[in-house]
Amino acid sequence: MTYLMFLLLMGLIFGLIAVASNPSPYFAALGLVVVAGMGCGVMVSFGGPFLSLVLFLIYLGGMLVVFAYSAALAAEPYPESWGNWSVAVYGALYLMGVILVLFYFYGGWYESSWVPVDELSGLSMFRGDMSGVALMYSSGGWVLVISAWVLLLTLFVVLELTRGLSRGTLRVV
Amino acid sequence: MNPYIMSIFLLGLGLGTTITFMSSHWLLAWMGLEINTLAIIPLMAQHHHPRSVEASTKYFLTQATAAAMILFASSTNAWITGQWDINELSHPMSSTIMMLGLALKIGLAPLHTWLPEVLQGLDLTTGLIMSTWQKLAPFSLLMQMNLNNSVMITMAIMSTMIGGWGGLNQTQLRKILAYSSIAHIGWMILVLQFSPSLTLITLMIYIFMTLSIFCLFKMNKTTSINSLAMSWSKSPTITALSPLILLSLGGLPPLTGFGPKWMILSELTKQDLNMIATITALSALLSLYFYLRLSYAMTLTLSPNTTPITNQWRFNTKQPTIHLSISTMLSLMLLPLLPGIMTIIN
Amino acid sequence: MTPVHFAFSTTFILGLMGLTFHRNHLLSALLCLEGMMLSLYVALSLWTLQLNSISFSPTPMLMLAFSACEASAGLALLVATSRTHGTDRLQALNILQC
Repeated sequence: MTYLMFLLLMGLIFGLIAVASNPSPYFAALGLVVVAGMGCGVMVSFGGPFLSLVLFLIYLGGMLVVFAYSAALAAEPYPESWGNWSVAVYGALYLMGVILVLFYFYGGWYESSWVPVDELSGLSMFRGDMSGVALMYSSGGWVLVISAWVLLLTLFVVLELTRGLSRGTLRVV
Repeated sequence: MNPYIMSIFLLGLGLGTTITFMSSHWLLAWMGLEINTLAIIPLMAQHHHPRSVEASTKYFLTQATAAAMILFASSTNAWITGQWDINELSHPMSSTIMMLGLALKIGLAPLHTWLPEVLQGLDLTTGLIMSTWQKLAPFSLLMQMNLNNSVMITMAIMSTMIGGWGGLNQTQLRKILAYSSIAHIGWMILVLQFSPSLTLITLMIYIFMTLSIFCLFKMNKTTSINSLAMSWSKSPTITALSPLILLSLGGLPPLTGFGPKWMILSELTKQDLNMIATITALSALLSLYFYLRLSYAMTLTLSPNTTPITNQWRFNTKQPTIHLSISTMLSLMLLPLLPGIMTIIN
Repeated sequence: MTPVHFAFSTTFILGLMGLTFHRNHLLSALLCLEGMMLSLYVALSLWTLQLNSISFSPTPMLMLAFSACEASAGLALLVATSRTHGTDRLQALNILQC
């Protein structure tokens, strides 16, 4: 379990190095998908399958939209992937930075600091996070209202921003 | 823009700030900031002009980054100390990150570069909202925390000096106002840890002064210095008063703007920070230079004109001027009432 | 600092550095922002799971909803920018400079 956790966390960091080292958006979106998958794995190992499922469905589903955008925009003749010189140099720099910081913070990491002891799981039918998320609907109250309202607000924001009058390329007529 | 949709956005703007005001939990405060950012973006881009769209893109990127930094700082604090309350942000690392995030949000000096560009792309009404209402929520968070001493003082001094230096070479009024906002925020942050009520009163007075100056420019329909020279033909009264408003913004003695600077300097000398008080008082001179230049261009020069233009003041303006007159009076004559206001706020 | 805390802090700071330093495309900046939000989601939900605090576990969901709003506003701005400027390169956003 410790080994699996090590691999997952390392994948999380490597995925974000891949995003941050400035490749073309197409490859960066790919890196972000890897990060999301690793995050799901980390959450499952911590005992939160429902939160992990939400991340997987919603986030990766949302990433699909971004993928479509980047596929539309990555029509450049030579998209930069991680094999390119500048991207590789930045990736290596970030990797070195992470390793240096790791040496600073490393120490005292025994086994149970990787994965927490999951002692209550045998006693209950559902995992805690599932009933906890359900708590949002029963006693969430005004926070739920605010979140629903901000989704509506975002709808108007997006409509108003993209309503463009007569300029630009993507337009009716 | 459709007035119904406009009302939804204005409601969102108010609701976001109110949520941040009333929250004691970091997540709720973050939500308020996000609602605020989301609601102002379509107001900024409402003309669909390339400048306004660019300004709203830049504003969105900075504000989203700042909000993410705020949430990161609070979750780091929660991982280390287990606390989510706003006034329990005690770990030094998380409070430093929080300070950086909030500084990015209000445009404090090393993180200020977005503010002049964003303000340049907006019309004057949205610019007024941007430089007054949008500062309230981050300031309400700043006042509830006990923050890192030296980081704050360094940023505040940098902010007053950069606000003075940056405005020197500008000819665009909105950029000048942005740099003046940076300088004023530096003054507010400087005294924040010694007396938060003084910060609050400085913020209030800054809002009055900015309101009057934005309404003045809006009434004259000017966005650059050379068109200011025509304002005497539009409304002679407000042209006679406007150098006083500008000098009040610069902080000259009988006007309102002197009060906060006076009390901040006295508070700093009480705390044995004489050197810092001297530096900030001198950096106010830099800002005073461009306020003087504005008032020179506005009232002390008379450009040659044709008769139909010079008689423009005979027609009454169609715009409502009640907020302009009230805020002008407040920004000129509030100084004698300042001790009373201090006792109310303290 | 536990390994998990180290991991999500590092991912957040990497995303922040990527957003700050070198961005060619606006879309890459938005992707870095998404990465930061993802690391915050991981941080909040792992805080919940580690402390077994059931009543806190809706908060990652709320945060995910808000970050989805933010991402969609960003993509709308991407469309608006590519309409007015013709490209999504961040170097093209230069008509407001001092």
